[in-house]
Amino acid sequence: MPGACFHCGEPLGEGDALFATIGARSHPVCCIGCRAAVEWIDGLGLADYYRLREGTGERAAPADDYAEWDRPRLARRHVRELVADRAETTVLVEGMRCAACAWLIERALVRREGVHEATVSPLVQRVRIVFDPSRVRLPALLATLARLGYRPHPLEGDRIDALRTSERRAALKRLVVAGFGAMQAMMYAVALYAGAFDGIDPAVRAFLRWMGMLVATPVVLYAARPFFAGALREWRARRLSMDTPVALAIGAIYTGSVVATVFGGAEVYFDSVCMFVFLLLLGRYVELRARQRAGEVADALVRLQPATAERCTEGACETIGVHELEPGQVVRVGAGATFPVDGVLRGTRCRVDESLLTGESAACLREVGEEVVAGSVALDGPVEVEVRRVGPATVLSALARMVERAAAARPRIARLADAAAARFVVRVLAATGVVVLAWSAIDPARAFASAVAVLVISCPCAFALAAPSALTRAVGVLARHGVMVVDADALEALAGVDRIVFDKTGTLTEPTIDVAGLRVARGSHEGALALAAALEQASTHPYARALRDAARGLALPAIADVRETGGGVLGRFDGHTLRLGRPDFALVDGDGDALVLADDAGEIARFPIVERVRAGAREAIDALQAAGVACEIVSGDHAERVRRVAAALGVAEWRARATPEAKLAHLASLRTRGDAVAAVGDGVNDAPVLGGADAAITLGEGAALAQAASGIVLAGGDLGGIVDARGVARSMLAVVRRNLRWTLAYNLLAIPLAALGFVPPWLAAIGMSASSLIVVANTFAIGHPRADARSAAPAAAPTPLARAQPA
Amino acid sequence: MNIILALIPVSLVLLGVAVAAFFWAVDDAQYDDLDTPALAPLVDDDATRTDEPARR
Repeated sequence: MPGACFHCGEPLGEGDALFATIGARSHPVCCIGCRAAVEWIDGLGLADYYRLREGTGERAAPADDYAEWDRPRLARRHVRELVADRAETTVLVEGMRCAACAWLIERALVRREGVHEATVSPLVQRVRIVFDPSRVRLPALLATLARLGYRPHPLEGDRIDALRTSERRAALKRLVVAGFGAMQAMMYAVALYAGAFDGIDPAVRAFLRWMGMLVATPVVLYAARPFFAGALREWRARRLSMDTPVALAIGAIYTGSVVATVFGGAEVYFDSVCMFVFLLLLGRYVELRARQRAGEVADALVRLQPATAERCTEGACETIGVHELEPGQVVRVGAGATFPVDGVLRGTRCRVDESLLTGESAACLREVGEEVVAGSVALDGPVEVEVRRVGPATVLSALARMVERAAAARPRIARLADAAAARFVVRVLAATGVVVLAWSAIDPARAFASAVAVLVISCPCAFALAAPSALTRAVGVLARHGVMVVDADALEALAGVDRIVFDKTGTLTEPTIDVAGLRVARGSHEGALALAAALEQASTHPYARALRDAARGLALPAIADVRETGGGVLGRFDGHTLRLGRPDFALVDGDGDALVLADDAGEIARFPIVERVRAGAREAIDALQAAGVACEIVSGDHAERVRRVAAALGVAEWRARATPEAKLAHLASLRTRGDAVAAVGDGVNDAPVLGGADAAITLGEGAALAQAASGIVLAGGDLGGIVDARGVARSMLAVVRRNLRWTLAYNLLAIPLAALGFVPPWLAAIGMSASSLIVVANTFAIGHPRADARSAAPAAAPTPLARAQPA
Repeated sequence: MNIILALIPVSLVLLGVAVAAFFWAVDDAQYDDLDTPALAPLVDDDATRTDEPARR
């Protein structure tokens, strides 16, 4: 990448050429932090990272001081002692992008003195470190991660993690035992079936039956244990769901076959019972993986709350762990720091950025005596806060619990399919009872064989597999398109949506700086631009990128003490304090729609902020309207601007100057009219509106919490994802319906035949397995071919032509 | 045909060994991360190993 930093990929400033040397080659870097990171990584012998990685790294920040993590009371909550010289900790690592990151982190940690083992899970952005606490301390390990350019967050007691891991491992083991058992039992069964046709020595037949029993026994007693345990739990709670009938069926088939083996009955069904258990476990395993992945969204909230706080008593301050605080104590929070607790402001008033909690990007002023909440950022400071609520009592924790609960809940569609399967199995059991009674009257010798044939051929596995397999496939397909499904119910709702309400600002449009419209109050045009770009050199804000792009080719002056706060950037140049931000931040007069560069003597230059329509928005709206979905813009902005954007996008219906209450009321009136409505927003001002829609969609750049609260997140802000998501959701529902219909038809045909005694055991086994496999195979239709056509076109400029192409 | 009386139990013993090996692999966290190990063969071995020999 020419002109970009070798480590982080940021564009290079022209004036100050910095190079990092790896071997004989030198590579350009953007700042001293990145140079240090490159040379340190090379010094560790890990320069292969640059060859293996898929994306650029985070801009390396100077390492923070992690010394407070060494406090015994804090360390105890994050570090678990295993044996004398081994302790274990789990760290959430922010900024991990690809497998090469995982590799780098693992190697860098393992090379440290005293580290026994480092295991990285890139999927969940975690590293588990086993180390010798007498030779290396937690702060040194965190500093190692920070020097690589990642942001480490030690996780408090990874009990949930350990639980998830052991749950996943146990499920995998059971699945494989059932799978192996099914294969072996099937081989013996094929020999028995062949024998039934061609004749077989009774001794060999008995031998094969005993072997079948040998492999089926661990499958029933070990792999199928969750079903028996679930049935027992249901029986104790006096309610009936899927586990009871399944456990009864497994128990009946297995017992019947054992009796036939030992006392010489007509048929054995060891192959069927193993296959039955394997297929049911497969459905559960697929669902478990999907659910655990969704649960990790809640981890995002862990990052919001600091783990340490400065407690002040009688003028003296000390740094302690947040959990050591008690209501009534006073903590000090510096400018730009995050409030660790919910509390009441004392002494001075303060501007607070609550964007991560409320989605409101503008800073709000809190007076003395007013409440501030944990997770929000103090823009002025230092301020003193009297603690009201700590730990699990805070608003932030309540939100995190809400998200976690939502993630842990099973999707509605899976619950419905489960309930259908349970009802079905109850009916099959009743039918089996009738069959036993009827055959007892006609021919008692055939009663048991017929009953078992009914149990085997009727297939609740297909019911149990239908929803989770389709859902997993749909979520997987969408993830490849950059659409994250947080709540599977939202996907189901999206399939039926006939109207989409868009927010304008930040959703259909994005703000950008109009560099051409720069008005200079003092000095030269280029000088002002260079100063502004130099101030924004380290920022990731979109405005900063626009400024850096505009200033490319100019010599950037060196600015000292650059500090980014919630409202803008500060720095020292030539003995003056430079400020770049909204007019109130830059301490000058004027309206809010501009970025002002000022020093102690007043305004230097002013960059107007304008709105432009997001790339791909027009194409997405065209595609939705062509598909018969009504699109509408509801915005809090001035009528003239909303009209202009609506005209540019070809949207006929729009509303301007809508307050959040008005938006919510409008949504409610649409829904009472019978429309199924999806709301699309960026989380700023939209949170209640998103909550009031049937399906809520946010853009990945929006505030973190609104993402977690909405059902579907479009990563990278590509609105075309809505079109993909709708298509995939519709085909998912179609596949689930088709699967349920097909399973029902199969059973209605097969069960009467089995009840009448026409179905030999080999046919029952084939019917049962084939019906489940067809259900799974059907799900591969999801996302295959139409939904894929769009992603083939470049995301920035998808042409209508490219979308119309059949794949 | 009597050979199957010997071969089937032998196959069962092998099956048991396979299951035991799989259980060991799962407990050894070999199925927890299926992405990173794919990169390992691309990495050159380096001679400058530090204080301890291979740990795993």
